[in-house]
Amino acid sequence: MPRAAPSLLPPYARPCSRVAIRRATSYQADLEALLYETLREFDLPVREKTVLLKANLVGLDSRCVTNTHPAVIAAAREAFLRLGAAEVLIGDGPSMDRDSQAVVESIRLREYAGPLSRTFVDLNVDDVERVVLKTHASRLKELYLPKTVRGVDFLVSMPKLKTHHWAGVTLSLKNMFGIVPGGCYGWPKNVLHWAGIDNSILDINAAARPDFAIVDGIIGMEGNGPIQGDPTPCGVLVLGDDPVAVDSTCARVMGLLPERIKHIARAATLLGHMQPEKISQLGESIESTKTPFAVLKEFNALRQPRIAE
Amino acid sequence: MERVCLPYLRDAQNEDGGWGFQHGSQSRVEPTAWALLALSESADDAAARATALGLQYLLRAQLTDGSWPAAEGQEKGCWVTSLACLTLISQPQFRERLARGIRWLIDERPGEARRWFRFLRRLSGARRTLAQNDYYYGWSWTAGTASWVEPTAMALIVLRNSPAVLLPAQVQRRIQLAEAMLYDRMSPGGGWNCGNPLVYGVPGEPQVCQTSWALLALRDHPDRPEVQKSLDWLETSWRRIESPGTLALAHIGLNLLGRSRPDVRTALCSFYEKNEILWNIPAVSSTILAMSEKHKWLNRSDSRMKS
Repeated sequence: MPRAAPSLLPPYARPCSRVAIRRATSYQADLEALLYETLREFDLPVREKTVLLKANLVGLDSRCVTNTHPAVIAAAREAFLRLGAAEVLIGDGPSMDRDSQAVVESIRLREYAGPLSRTFVDLNVDDVERVVLKTHASRLKELYLPKTVRGVDFLVSMPKLKTHHWAGVTLSLKNMFGIVPGGCYGWPKNVLHWAGIDNSILDINAAARPDFAIVDGIIGMEGNGPIQGDPTPCGVLVLGDDPVAVDSTCARVMGLLPERIKHIARAATLLGHMQPEKISQLGESIESTKTPFAVLKEFNALRQPRIAE
Repeated sequence: MERVCLPYLRDAQNEDGGWGFQHGSQSRVEPTAWALLALSESADDAAARATALGLQYLLRAQLTDGSWPAAEGQEKGCWVTSLACLTLISQPQFRERLARGIRWLIDERPGEARRWFRFLRRLSGARRTLAQNDYYYGWSWTAGTASWVEPTAMALIVLRNSPAVLLPAQVQRRIQLAEAMLYDRMSPGGGWNCGNPLVYGVPGEPQVCQTSWALLALRDHPDRPEVQKSLDWLETSWRRIESPGTLALAHIGLNLLGRSRPDVRTALCSFYEKNEILWNIPAVSSTILAMSEKHKWLNRSDSRMKS
């Protein structure tokens, strides 16, 4: 059964979104229990369904600072299985290295999530189908997308909380670049850069909107992200049923203005909520978890103004 | 290799003659080309039959402009054209198909080859972000986008190995520009990543796959300090490789440039014995190619004819 077409709705027609911020100060914490309890609050329709956890595996990462941490991926997998999911797959299409096995070995994913031969889907080389894009935000008219992404019942975007030297931030929306298969578009997926990064993000998410997002913000990355930035402890996991609301919340936690991050602002016109009054906040508050991230000087305008003491 | 890799390759061939990236998946040009290159190292009848079917798939997939697409239904060719051409170099009966592929490769220019693009980049200040010389260009992954290390290296290998009669006069200029681009994009300490050696002044970390491809493309310049420095880097990175596909490619690169590693067979076998790998056709094929030691697929067409 193919996934239902994602609903593109303007904000006034969309019900409020829910976002939870949970404190988690280390990858050694009981993340499975934390995620299970939080996911239960969302009452997600995953029983007997196939779930795909779309992690952010950019490339080789022996220090585990650029990719979604395997402890978070494994904990999410266990939590969805406890919620009754029939199958929980882990997948991504690394953009900087075509050898996905080398990438997953570099972060020791097997040690956390067990044997990968049946659970890991290399989206770069998955079977593909042609998808005509509806939004035409970029000049791309169509994309060949992995059948696994189109076929699962429930799609979860699982990025790391990072700045990005072209897009400002890379969170659950930008993470969806990884579903565009390298086997069709190369490593990196340069066609998306040439079509315009911000607009491509909108087109891809309109074609395969994540049903849920879990952001690994236990240790994020600031500065010259997504690869060469500096690791930044932030101590949070951010979860939600709307990728735009999750990314807006994450941006606020990072001390940035989501309204000025082009791809988030554009996504808020069709794919989810950016305005705080449309986001029902669970768990910790944004203020209590705020950790201002350093940005490249090109992105200084994204920073929230400092309030005089 | 005989017990595991070759049987896996034979079993994974689809009825249409092509191979998918994995056993049972859609036939695609790239894995089909890899499988055919690997089978060319085997002399038995089964391999010959599989090769004949695979070549038919490859010929059917060629577009009218001479290029090959990455997936069925795509109307534009891309980097897999180089891999398809590499496969056809050893098939003299398909010389005309190879010639069309080569013509497409030579005519295909990346986005930064356009003057207006370089002008706009100069105006936008983007050259301060990425330290690279835009006057050098190679080949892109997909039509009209920028040059990157791997597709450039693959195209250079095709042009180096193809019969001289198929190459037009202007090919030398393309080769010079592409080689200059590879040297320009080398990481400061040797080796290559996908093609961004410095972003905002920060050196990018080289990667084994891309370094191996670049070295294979530049193997006619073994004495250049950049090549030696990159070989040094690859040798020191050897122990950190954690997958058979990358290990095989690194071995081929080192071996052809005179730095062979005697322990490669053991290291590759251990991956397959543990069976903790993500099976895919390019990785299995490059393992076969690494273990064969002959590397016929990387020889010049003329020398292949003599042998």
